[in-house]
This record gives sequence, C-alpha cells and structure tokens, in this order.
Amino acid sequence: MISHPDLSIEQLQEGKISGFETQIEIKKTTCAICSANCGIDASVKDGVVIKVEGTAENPANKGTLCSKGAANRQYIYHEDRIRTPLLKRGGKNSTEFEPISWDQALDIISSRMLEIKDQSGPESVVFFSGFPKRLRPFLKRLAHGFGSPNYCTESSTCFYATLIANKLNYGCAGEADIQNSECLLVWSTNPFHSATADVSNLLDAIDTGLKIIEVGPLITPLSSHADIHLRIRPGTSGALALGMAHVIIEEGLYDSDFVNHWTVGFDEYRKYTKQFTPSATEEITSVPAASIIQAARLYASSKTSSLMSGASPTVHHTNGVQNHRAITALIGLTGNFDRKGGNRVIPSSHYGFNTRQDEFEQSKPWSEMAPRIAQEVLPVWSELVEQAQAIPLPAQIHSGKPYPIRAMLAFGLNYRMWPGSDNMKESLKKLDFLVDIDLFLTDSAKLADLVLPACTSFEKNDLRVWSPNYAIWTEPVIKPVGESRSDINIIIDLADKLGLDDPLLKQGQEACLDWIIKPSGFTISDLKAAPGGMFLPEIETPFFQYKEKGFPTPSGKMEFCSSILKKAGYDALPKYVEPKHSPVSAPEMALDYPLILNTGSRLPMFMHSRTFRLPWTRALRHDPMADINPIDGERRDIKTGDTIKLSTHRSSITVKAHITQRVPPGVVAMFHAYPEADVNLLIEPDYCDPISGYPGFKSLLCEVTKIMDD
Amino acid sequence: MTQFAFSFDVSRCSACLACVVACQDQNDLIVENIAFRQVTIHEEGELSSVKISSLSLACCHCGDAPCVKACPTNAIFKQDDTGVVDINRDICIGCHCCELACPFGATKFAEDGKMAKCNLCHSRLTNNLEPACVKVCSTKALKAGPLEELTKQKTEKASVIILKSLITTQNK
Repeated sequence: MISHPDLSIEQLQEGKISGFETQIEIKKTTCAICSANCGIDASVKDGVVIKVEGTAENPANKGTLCSKGAANRQYIYHEDRIRTPLLKRGGKNSTEFEPISWDQALDIISSRMLEIKDQSGPESVVFFSGFPKRLRPFLKRLAHGFGSPNYCTESSTCFYATLIANKLNYGCAGEADIQNSECLLVWSTNPFHSATADVSNLLDAIDTGLKIIEVGPLITPLSSHADIHLRIRPGTSGALALGMAHVIIEEGLYDSDFVNHWTVGFDEYRKYTKQFTPSATEEITSVPAASIIQAARLYASSKTSSLMSGASPTVHHTNGVQNHRAITALIGLTGNFDRKGGNRVIPSSHYGFNTRQDEFEQSKPWSEMAPRIAQEVLPVWSELVEQAQAIPLPAQIHSGKPYPIRAMLAFGLNYRMWPGSDNMKESLKKLDFLVDIDLFLTDSAKLADLVLPACTSFEKNDLRVWSPNYAIWTEPVIKPVGESRSDINIIIDLADKLGLDDPLLKQGQEACLDWIIKPSGFTISDLKAAPGGMFLPEIETPFFQYKEKGFPTPSGKMEFCSSILKKAGYDALPKYVEPKHSPVSAPEMALDYPLILNTGSRLPMFMHSRTFRLPWTRALRHDPMADINPIDGERRDIKTGDTIKLSTHRSSITVKAHITQRVPPGVVAMFHAYPEADVNLLIEPDYCDPISGYPGFKSLLCEVTKIMDD
Repeated sequence: MTQFAFSFDVSRCSACLACVVACQDQNDLIVENIAFRQVTIHEEGELSSVKISSLSLACCHCGDAPCVKACPTNAIFKQDDTGVVDINRDICIGCHCCELACPFGATKFAEDGKMAKCNLCHSRLTNNLEPACVKVCSTKALKAGPLEELTKQKTEKASVIILKSLITTQNK
C-alpha cells in the first residue's frame, strides 16, 4: 500500500484515501444493479464498504459509474434487506412471516415441490428469474433436471423479441461496429441512460466525424448530437423503415450484389415497399417526408453504416417483431451485414464468447418434457427461444389449460412486469406454492409462501465477461448481510435437496463455470490471479462469415420473406400494421383517450424497480411523474407538479405532471413499476405482439386529467 | 497559489446524475440526503427546434469568494495550496450569511444546522486523485484541475473546431 506523508491521518480518512494509515482497502467487485455490470472498486474499512468508485482498468466502464452504481452502498446496506429465510404464517392473504433456518426452508421447498411433481407432473412447477442474469444457466439446468420445461425469465419482455426478428431475417444478430462506421443509425435507444458508463466511445466517435441518425419519439441526450432526428409517432417504426427502404430502392442506393446473391424474397419486399412513399410514410409516422429521404440517403450512401437499437423499445409494441424485422432489413439491403463498420456477428453466449452454456443449460432435451407454457400459441417463440414465454403464464394459471400450473420458484419476481399486473398478482395468489428469492421483501415477495434472502454482488463469487475479451472472477468484498446467500449457491443446494442426479452441479459453482467456459482455454483459477479482472487472448472474429457458411436461416440466405413465419401462418414479409390501440386503428377509443401512452423509457436514476427505495436515487425524481408536452398540458390546464389522473380504457393511476418537450405533442411518457402508481395496471394482459408475446408497453391510448386538490 | 476549479462541457453532459450521487457517497451525505452538486435541465425552443441541455453545478471555488467575505466567524476560507473554498465546521455558527452571499446556491445546511459544501474533494486532490464527481463522469463533461490548464484545454478544443471549419471552407 502507498503511504501519504504529506497529509494528516484525519485528512486521509476524510477523503477516504486507501492505504496503511487509514486501514482502508480497495477490493474489486462488480455492480449488479443493471446488466452492464460495471467494475467496482469498493473501499472497505473494518469489513464495511465506505465508498464505491468505478474500476479504472476495466474497459467496460473505465473508472466511471452511473447514478445507480454510485448509490450501491444504499442498495447493499438497505434496512429492507431480508436477513433470514421467512415462512408465511396465517394463509395466502397474510403478510406475516416468521424467520426459519436455511435447513428448514430448503426442506419445506423440496418436499412441497416433489409432492406437487408427484401429483401434477414436473411441468406444473415454474422456474422463474426476474432481472438477475448470472444465475440463469444454473436455474435452467435445475428446472430441466427437475423435469419442468417451464423455465422462464424477465427476457419474456426484454431483448428476445429483437433476437427473434434478427433470427428470422438473418439467423443471427449483428452488433453495430461503431468504431469503424461513418454513419450510425440509432433506433429508439438512449445509451446515455441505459449504458451510461459506455458512452465516451460514442461521443469520441461523434467528435471525430461519425454521423448520427436518431429515430425515436423522445428527445434523448443523443438528440443534440444527431445530424437528423426522426421523431416518429410511437409504434410506427416498421412504416418508417419501409419508407426508408422505398427511397433506398427507388434511388438505386441498395447493395444489388448482396441482394442478388444472399437474400430471398427481395422482389416481394420491393413490391411491398412501393406503397411506402415518403409522403405516405409521413402520413403514418409524423416524420416529414424530406427528413425520411435525407435519412435514407445518408444511411445508404455512407461508405459504412451501422445500426444500433435497444433491447426492447422497438419490440414493446403489438406489432413489435415485424417492426424490428423491417428496421434490421435495412442492414442487409445496404450490404452492411457482418461487414467492417456495419453490423458484425459476434458470439452471443451469456459470457460473450464461445462456451458450452447451451449444453449446460439444456440438461434435458425439449422432446423429453411436456410442452412449454403457450407453446402452441407462440410457435415462433418456441422454435427460436430456448425458454418458455412468461407473459401468458397468468392466463394458464387461471385456466389450468392445457395443464395446471401449481407452483413457482422465483428469483427476483416482480408481478408489475406483466401487463395487467393486477391480473398477474391474482394468479400468483392461486398457486399452491410460491417461493421468491430476493434482496428485499418486495410486494411480490410478500405474496410468497416462503422467501429466501439472496445477497448482492458485493457479497459473493461471480464470473463476468465483457465483450470482447475482459473477464473478472469476484471474491466477496464484505460478509453477506444477515444469513443471505448467493443465488447460484441456493440453486445448487436446492438441486441436492430435490435429489437431482447431477454430479456436475454437485461440484459447485466454480466447477460448473469451468465446464461451461472450457472452449475458451482459460479457467477460473487463471482469473483468480487477477482480482480486478484481466484481458483474455483476443479471438479474431472474421467478417462476412456468411460467405463461408451461409446464413443460419432455413434458406441459408437473408430472408426478406421469412420461411419460418410463413410456415407458422404469419405474414412472411415485414408487414406494417398499426398498433392495436392507436388513433388510426381505434378512432372510437381515441375520442376518450386521444393521447399515446409510451411507458418504460429509461430514466437515469432508476433500473426497473430496483432503486426506488434508495434515498439518493429516489431524491433525483421523487414523485411518479408523467411526462406531458406543453401543448397537451396547456389544453388541459395542467402544469408541472399538478396531481393528475393518467387513464386508459382499462384503469387509471394518480401521478404528478411533468411538462416537458422531451415528449412530442400527443404523447405521454410514464416510467414503470412504481408500487404507488403502477402504469402496467393500465394495459390489458393480452395487449401483446402475436409473434413474440411481448407486451405493447410503448404504444396505446390514454388521457390525462387534472385532479383538483381539496 | 494555483487556483483549482471545475470545468464543464455542456455539449457532453447527458444529465445522468452520477456526479450528484458520487459526491454524496464520497461525502457521506446519507442522513440529510443533501447534495453538494445539482443538475439542472433546461429546454429551449419549440417542436422541431427544441434543444434540451443540462448543467451540473457545485461550488465554483470563486477567486474572490463572497461567502468567505460574508462569514462572520471566518469559518469559510480558501485553501492555500489550491484556492479551494473550504469550511471549518467547528467554528461555523449556522448563520446562513454565506447562503445570502453565494450566487450559486452552493452552500448547504446539514442536520446539525451548520453549513456544508463541496471542497473539490480537497484531500483527494492533494493526493493526485480526481474529485469523486469528476471520476464518475462517463462523458467527461466534468473536469477539475488547475484553472490555467482547464482553460488551455478548452481553447485547444475550440481551436480544433475552428480549424476544421476553416479547412472545409477552403476546400470548397
């Protein structure tokens, strides 16, 4: 440790400077509040974290953090942390729990799960993971080892629908190669607030001449850097993409060589885009025709163009998958697929490089298990995604069809993830047995029969790999709070109690991870020698992989007309249909609810429901607020701070008004998951995309009205 | 004396608010939940011409600081080595005169009634560490250092932009 002769011990302590004099030690871990998992330097004194900073040598965040990451101390030491296993007393509707031992808890869970399995089959038990990501390969293995096909996750509303769209078009997805790009098309994502620590590269690229086309109704921090910002009406992405394609094709700006050799269905696609003239597209999207033409020309005629989209904004619509197909079709149309400076294909495992994750997870083939929840209803999901879709889960709990769902083992469950969240809450009450594992006794945990305390990333071992080649194995930097335990260890212990014949799982987390990462040529022991993380040997990923192997689609080519969709009875072309409830598709409803409700866009201080309870982050936006354009506010005599009713034809919630031009006229934006103002109460449980089952969180109809204070 | 200060690049700030919380974490502003740094968002223009920008502001560590002059007990002072405006809380009487004098609202009052403020992480600074708010800033909008160095950096950045535009004009 370094000694600091110039400063007094008091000064060093006040500045929380690490070293021999202060007895403050810097220990390396990661933040797990969002999935960026930034490297953290935790300053620890007497076994307590007294400060956090970003890890300077970690290329993912280069010493920086976001407001949530900086608030980690209030997260890990929150008074609401669950400290022991808790058993519910006094029946389903009670919220009284008594502390029990881990042994008792695991015994109760395993005996109830085995009993229900005996009576109703293993498929009647659901294994669910909310936002937590690292535990997932283990949970899926546990589910299938138990015999249940019903492993499902929060990815039922996040990321997979974009992956489905990419798989339908290309068989795989391509990431924007920003560093080598001349033009970046950013489609409805706000990296400044969703990947805060990773934006310096983007800003530097802009400083050195990267052109930006931004698409999205909201103004984001990127907007002031954008050369063109197309502020679409929410839910019309597909039409805009088809309109851009129209210009690109009509003006001969497409890559005819790629289209001729490597695509199927171009003629039908070309014919279909004819109706999306700039003026027709303006009519649908509200984007001026001249801007559409300008954007299409800039994207298609730049030497290299890449496309960046978020995990969900483009697919949180009732027309989501087809919208996203239309958007990503532009990559192939302009020859930018798997090309330097375009969208390149990189290994897409949980760990960022080639692993045996799939083999580890799929411990039993689908054919040896019952059909998954909604397998018949969502055939494309079931073909392309290796888990069950959780959104139709409440419907099956209520109906018991095609088979009953009786129990659920959940990690980080939040029923407010579901559209019609009250409906999901009621369905959970119908279960014979519900276990939730969480940090806090959340409203969802309160519904459980038994609750287990998990610990944070600061209190456990974990492996994290950042693409392309930086990895860390973390040791706990503090002792677990109370009797809380690592989620992965809970799964391993449960597997044992359930009597799973799984010798690998029995060997523990480290052995399992070594097995998974074996193809990479490094081991957990290698990583232990580098506490802050280390660079792995860089794996050269070649461009134009399709020229060697073809596309992993049924035709071996990029599919403008999807053979998978055709077989399943959907439109094979990326056809544009209006959102189910829009001013155009539901004019009757729009008489009473004339505004478009757009929910869930990122706010910088919140990560779903995870940081509401932290005083630091909560103070940054104290009240649940609906963002309303000044024009719409003025028409309704609503000012910032007014108490208002935000309603749809289903229900209403009471929030504060926030008048801002962040939202365009006619659009109201509301953040999700507030316990006291849950916007998902306003959305029908079946307001979903027919291909992915994703909820249409980002385009429906609403109204706001002022509530007169007494 | 070298005057240290913050500098801020309005074109890079994304209002992510990390600076506010990193400061609270560094300075243990836990019980009161007060913040030494505040981010203000401003909207200008209408519809297609609207611009939204943000500014992160804490104490400006003024050269001729009105709060130092206003303080009747000399609790507020400028650090000799850095010019940082600091406070000796032992002799602060919580009179709020500094609050009246400060044009930036940089003085805050803790639960004990006494003033508390940003001191540019003085002990980090003298230990060659950036202030917590600067370290955490992912867009590098916020910087700190000797005033001369900061202005030099800004001049260079502006010069490059001017030069680029001149070259482009010439090429036409």
